[in-house]
Amino acid sequence: MNRLRGKIVNIESSESISLVEVKTDIGNICAVVVETPETAEYLKVNNDIYVLFKETEVSIGKELSGMISLRNRFECVVEEIQKGKVLTRLVLKCGDNLIKSVITTRSAERMEIKKGDSVTALVKTNEVSLMEIPDGS
Amino acid sequence: MKIKLKKRLKGYKGDFILDVDISIRKGSFITIFGRSGAGKTTLLKMLAGLLKPDEGFIEVSGKVWYDSTMGIDLPPQKRRVGVVFQDYALFPNMTVEENILYGMEKKDEDLLEMLLSLTELKELRKRKPQSLSGGQKQRVALARAVARKPDILLLDEPLSALDIDMRKKLQEELQMIHRTFSLTTFLISHDFSEVFRLSDKVFVMENGKIIKEGRPDQIFVQERISGKVRFSGEILQINREDVVYIVSVLVGNNIIKVVADPDEVQDLSVGDKVVVASKAFNPFILKSE
Repeated sequence: MNRLRGKIVNIESSESISLVEVKTDIGNICAVVVETPETAEYLKVNNDIYVLFKETEVSIGKELSGMISLRNRFECVVEEIQKGKVLTRLVLKCGDNLIKSVITTRSAERMEIKKGDSVTALVKTNEVSLMEIPDGS
Repeated sequence: MKIKLKKRLKGYKGDFILDVDISIRKGSFITIFGRSGAGKTTLLKMLAGLLKPDEGFIEVSGKVWYDSTMGIDLPPQKRRVGVVFQDYALFPNMTVEENILYGMEKKDEDLLEMLLSLTELKELRKRKPQSLSGGQKQRVALARAVARKPDILLLDEPLSALDIDMRKKLQEELQMIHRTFSLTTFLISHDFSEVFRLSDKVFVMENGKIIKEGRPDQIFVQERISGKVRFSGEILQINREDVVYIVSVLVGNNIIKVVADPDEVQDLSVGDKVVVASKAFNPFILKSE
């Protein structure tokens, strides 16, 4: 699980769904959650919060062009690559932060991803979870 | 309902004081959770009147059962309480229905029929306990406890000797009985999923004191995540698979497999209590047959 600490900068809500924008070290990350400030206490602008997303939900782009609907995109450098039979695990450096991604080995080979490559990490907003920071940490 | 009790107890690590001061809303399903020797059974026995506290006060539905300053101490039969312990304690020479009828203050055929049907014992009513299975015996014990029309039902690990399927079945019946008779139920249980499934409030006991109280998810879940799909369970297995790990988690009767990163697995071990969470956007809903 990727976990980044950030601050909520914007919340847009409909009846029960909110789009929450969180400022983190690697840029702003958006999350769609089935919560609103009325149902979840931690949904407040300026609140510190953890942003979570699973490695398997991080897609990788290389030399991206054209339009893409994904709002969460982070420019990274491949720091480590572990190839398995089916899956490949990438450790990506984004500023001072590390993001992990798991993609298929087929894709990694097709894109010829290797250590030191510049890539874009992409995460759909509905795959991003928010977690309250427990008191005192 | 108010319970304020003190009693000096002998533990294996020396004496300690059981000191409990709690208020309970009528109709609650309470679990008392804690290690053995924490004082859980002692607390239930004092509520039932089977054990005398050193001092304190018990009030149930406006009636004082015990008050050390006033010298009030109702005997067990005067307290409106039903008790089920792990050992069935049925009368071996009586049939199922005789055992249940014995629990009643006065004979009530309608109540008997209702209890037999709620606990699925109708067909076994003329049988003697020795010919029943563990689950069936525990149902008789439960029906007999409720036959007294108690205000409170005390259950001391009643299902712990049963296999998982039977346990689940009886959990459902317990819940049904709890609701049907508007009982305030106290359950001692070590079974994590049972606590979650049944209770609306948990008291965690340690060395005779209540150290935590709240809803099961508040007590057992430290981190609050925006995930709408969440289950509490226990890790059964952690296996490396390719560049990731597959963590098998027992949730109720089901095993859920979760893909985890090597970094996450570092702090996890088999037997850990965990929460499996996912966003509301991910799961599919398929109608079951």
